[in-house]
Amino acid sequence: MQKYENGSANGRQTARTLTPSLPSVTVHFKSTFPPSSAFLPVAGERPRMDLSATPSRSKSKAKSSPAKPIAASAEVQMDLCTPSKATPKRKSKSVTSPPPTTPATPSTVRRSRRLLDTPTKANPEAPVKATPTPTSKGKRAAPSPKTPAQREPKRQRRQPKKRSYYRKVVYDGGEFEVGDDVYVKRREDAESDAEDPEAEECRVCFRSGGGVMVECDMCLGGFHLRCVRPPLRRVPEGDWSCQYCEAERAGKAMERPKPPEGKRIVRTAKEKLLASDLWAARIESLWREPDGTFWAKVRWYIIPEETAAGRQTHNLRRELYRTNDLGDIEMETILRHCFVMNPKEFRDANDAGDDVFYCEYEYDIHWHNFKRLADIDDEPETKEDPSDEPYNANTDYISDTDEDSEYDEEEEPTSCSLARRNQTHELAANSRKGRIYGLQKIGIRKIPEHVRCHQKTELEKAKATLLLATLPKSLPCRDKEMEEISTFVKDAICNDQCLGRCLYIHGVPGTGKTMSVLAVMRRLRSEFDSGTLRPYCFIEINGLKLASPENIYKVIYEQLSGHRVGWKKALHYLTEHFSGGTRIGKQANQPIVLLIDELDLLLTRNQSVLYNILDWPTKPNSNLVVIGIANTMDLPEKLLPRISSRMGIQRLCFGPYNFRQLQEIIISRLKGINAFEEQAIEFASRKVAAMSGDARRALEICRRAAEFADYRTKQSGQASLTCNRGDGVVCMGDIEAAIQEVFQAPHIQVMKNCPKFGKVILVAMVHELYKSGLGEVMFDKLASTVFSWCHVNRELLPGYDTLLKICCKLGESKIILCEEGSKHKLQKLQLNYPSDDVTFALKESPDLPWLSKYL
Amino acid sequence: MAAAAAESVASQAQAVLRARLCDPSFVHSALRSSPDTNYSKLKYLVSSSVSEACNNSVLLLGPRGCGKAAVVDMVLDDLKKEHPDAISLIRLNGMLHSDDNCAMKEIARQLCLEHQLSFSKMASSDDNTEFMIDMLRECGLAHKTILFVLEEFDLFAQGKQRLLYSLLDAMQSLTSQAVVIGVSCRLDADQLLEKRVRSRFSHRKLLFVPSSMDDIQRLVEHLLMLAKDSGLPAKYITDYNARLTNIFGDKKFKGILNSLMEADPTTSNILRFLFRAVSYMDMESGFLSMENFVSALSSMQRQPKMDSLLDLSILELYILVCMYRLEDKEQSSYNFTSIMKEYRSIQEAYKTSDKYASTVCFRAFEHLLDRELISFADSKGRNQALEYRPVKLLISSRELAQSLKLNTTCPAVLQKLLDRERYM
Repeated sequence: MQKYENGSANGRQTARTLTPSLPSVTVHFKSTFPPSSAFLPVAGERPRMDLSATPSRSKSKAKSSPAKPIAASAEVQMDLCTPSKATPKRKSKSVTSPPPTTPATPSTVRRSRRLLDTPTKANPEAPVKATPTPTSKGKRAAPSPKTPAQREPKRQRRQPKKRSYYRKVVYDGGEFEVGDDVYVKRREDAESDAEDPEAEECRVCFRSGGGVMVECDMCLGGFHLRCVRPPLRRVPEGDWSCQYCEAERAGKAMERPKPPEGKRIVRTAKEKLLASDLWAARIESLWREPDGTFWAKVRWYIIPEETAAGRQTHNLRRELYRTNDLGDIEMETILRHCFVMNPKEFRDANDAGDDVFYCEYEYDIHWHNFKRLADIDDEPETKEDPSDEPYNANTDYISDTDEDSEYDEEEEPTSCSLARRNQTHELAANSRKGRIYGLQKIGIRKIPEHVRCHQKTELEKAKATLLLATLPKSLPCRDKEMEEISTFVKDAICNDQCLGRCLYIHGVPGTGKTMSVLAVMRRLRSEFDSGTLRPYCFIEINGLKLASPENIYKVIYEQLSGHRVGWKKALHYLTEHFSGGTRIGKQANQPIVLLIDELDLLLTRNQSVLYNILDWPTKPNSNLVVIGIANTMDLPEKLLPRISSRMGIQRLCFGPYNFRQLQEIIISRLKGINAFEEQAIEFASRKVAAMSGDARRALEICRRAAEFADYRTKQSGQASLTCNRGDGVVCMGDIEAAIQEVFQAPHIQVMKNCPKFGKVILVAMVHELYKSGLGEVMFDKLASTVFSWCHVNRELLPGYDTLLKICCKLGESKIILCEEGSKHKLQKLQLNYPSDDVTFALKESPDLPWLSKYL
Repeated sequence: MAAAAAESVASQAQAVLRARLCDPSFVHSALRSSPDTNYSKLKYLVSSSVSEACNNSVLLLGPRGCGKAAVVDMVLDDLKKEHPDAISLIRLNGMLHSDDNCAMKEIARQLCLEHQLSFSKMASSDDNTEFMIDMLRECGLAHKTILFVLEEFDLFAQGKQRLLYSLLDAMQSLTSQAVVIGVSCRLDADQLLEKRVRSRFSHRKLLFVPSSMDDIQRLVEHLLMLAKDSGLPAKYITDYNARLTNIFGDKKFKGILNSLMEADPTTSNILRFLFRAVSYMDMESGFLSMENFVSALSSMQRQPKMDSLLDLSILELYILVCMYRLEDKEQSSYNFTSIMKEYRSIQEAYKTSDKYASTVCFRAFEHLLDRELISFADSKGRNQALEYRPVKLLISSRELAQSLKLNTTCPAVLQKLLDRERYM
């Protein structure tokens, strides 16, 4: 949070001394905390999701826990003191017992919140974190009418009565942090919940410990290496299943060993979870109620059996789904840690213990559908992110804002009651507001099998890495340019007084201009994360994606402030901002890096848009850096002198790649995948380098070639299982075919397949061209030539109108250029391709042997 | 009674045949079996991008009537069956949506319709663009592929090409999962793209060319032969098929097909021809005969200008001949008054009975203009009186001579006038 920097950090300091428990200091707590029966861990708080379950919000909320009123009252208090707390998050709790204050419908809540906000983006999350720290006056006092500044002392007195939020809590011997995954008790009286064996017992000898155990991938039972028949030396690579499961799969009956008399099988937490006797959840926030109990807001995980689709055949045994369902639970109900991992972590976690689970999908409990969890790494960073964390991030207290901002958005759908759901139908999804609600619906009912069970072949892997969308791990061949960009940006940012500067980057398409800049910005962000860089604000705009050039003001203003205004107003505000008047947004003093892609699209007739944008950096205290990207080298020279003098000073050229660089790019992408012949890559890169030097083109050619090879192997695999030459490897032939497809125009083939009279017409046009020397020929003349030829060569005479129709058809495919057919005999025709192509295509046509003598 | 029964069987058979000819998936069903057709290539392309979750763009090129759209439809139908939940389809046509904002709105509308979201007409084009990008992301996360079918692709390549740019640029992110299929009859459609759009386009091209003679023959057999299980009496089917094989074996039939192919070998043309032949089917005998095909061919090869020439009155023919004479005299520009002068001089010289007043001639002249046998030489001078605007002849001398020959009521003088000019 930028706002805690410098002066406002004092506010936090004072708060620290006042509050008994510091947000950063871990609170040690004994389990002997008086668990009054009323506060017993709430069983049934989480909606039970049976196979038949309808979206059961009502069920989940129909609990009659006495804890409720207290919580609600706590809310009321909080609502009183901070009006902007009417986030939907609070609403979720108060569905059954609505607080007397805000009875507003969700959308009005949102709207009112918007009105109350200062025009900063981070404010919605402010209330959550603000509790331990009294709000810094300068920031929030003005816009929120319900919190006048003089209330401040009162609030501090009331401090202990309020919830205080923590990032990390040590409770009952365990250390729980926001973002951790935990087991949660389901029923208080569940059998043998008390004992919780950490170590699993062997399924054969029923003793735990004593040697390495291996887990069966099918029944998840543990086995000592020595107990397996035949005994294993070491843990096998890949999938392994025990002899009982294998027997079962083969259809044989094989009795599993029974436990010795008198010994009860103790189930591990994992087994209980998978048998739906326990829950797993992820902690989203932790707080202490005024009465001293510790609570957590959790996001539930769900086992496949509990989804509407049921367990599907491709589900892993240890698979869980994340839901969009959140609940408040008492810390008492939390058992201990478990580890829910994404596919990549899961693959790497070989022997991380028993409490490891796999989670790849999110499950929507309202719509009963699935969605892949997005990989955050692949997403371009959101722009306001860099400012979300304090500048000196390496000090030891960390506010929990980032987590909050995360679920502030995600939470809204979950908290929608039925009334809210009705409203979602009214909000149009393609308008601005509706998008937040509407898009929840999209998801797939069942996870398709082919996605999960598909083993990728080498060729398919190659295709995937060659995709343009795949971000390469490194950007080869652009080190120099990237270095230059990053020094430019750093110079601009690091100087205390950011002198407005402008960098113009040019180069032909597909030479990595945008990618390099984005890579630099990513690197700078990681530098900023490690605390060596001042915070800055990065705005990225693409000229071709703007509806009109003037819209750029609107977009910039929206990125800075989060508000939408018309472009004229936005221009006014922005000019004021950069010329040192009233500043927009909370990051008012941060330097702004503005990246404009496809800069040439911003040209208007009087070039005022470009002028304005390039004029801002020259103002003192503007703190603005502009990076413009375009294709043409001499764009600044083409502009008005007053613009080119502002833009053309610092330039960076991205030259086309040469073949070595292209080869390096392709090879670096294909590292570890053995699907391409070496010469094939070299051939492709040489060819592309000779034509355009466009890396996209080179990658596409390689991908196309891989597709050809894949198609070939699949077809041959269908026909017969024999392996032919170059099977599964992209060879020269494939590259050749791909290059053909990309670079060769298809007109020759079409000419070869023309109707007979079409060919005659084309040849007659070439003939006329040579006779008259003029490109254009009148249809009348052409037709008489065709007729005389047909007459001489004893062909059936076509009608005039037939000829005209054929001409029009050829004109449609642009083999010839012609005027519209209503001109009949006066129509003018012209060949669209060189006459040599026609000669080449029609020299030996089998159905018209006499044609060649006219060529 | 028996005749009535036979007729009903015949009309049933006719209905079956017509239904087949109008069903593109039946017409092109032969494509499904062979691996080298455009159908299987396109299907492989699209289905691999559905199953491997990648983005693709492909352009289908070829003259009109070669079955581009039919192949796309077939592929989409098949894929919808294979992946029922995972495909949503957006169809745009360059004729309707060449304007970028309008196309964006249409995309948003179809996406909303497909996913049962409510749609607002008021949303701005920025909103719609953002919505599309969000939807691409969400659908990608849910393993759903969005297929964009852009018909008349060349018309999208006008102006700034913002639509194509934002579509192809959105496909460069990893979460999206989309296929853009462009269909165009312009062979140079990919050359029309602006350089940065072209750089993002993946340059997959499938070329559709008219089928060869053998293919057409196979297609005709496939379409006209009745199968055993088509619900008609077995005896009728064997009789019908036997006759049809006879016809197919005939040299004359091959000649018919040949002359059809010489002008236009596309599948759609063949279908039109067959539909006519089936419609000419004799209901009493209940079988297709050679005459049906012959008359279908002649109806396919009509020469509309010739036909309208044959319908002209004598006076109109006089006017055409006068115009022809004027053009032959290398008089580059002439109008109604100069035509009338020529007409009068002919009348003076030959003293025919076809002498009409100038107003009558003017009406005949206007009629000729309406039939587009003659036209104004230029589009300027709209406010000029019709008589003084320069005109041009739109038919050739050969056509005129032919029509005079065919016209039985035509006076000999006219022929002579034309001939003399020609051979003197």
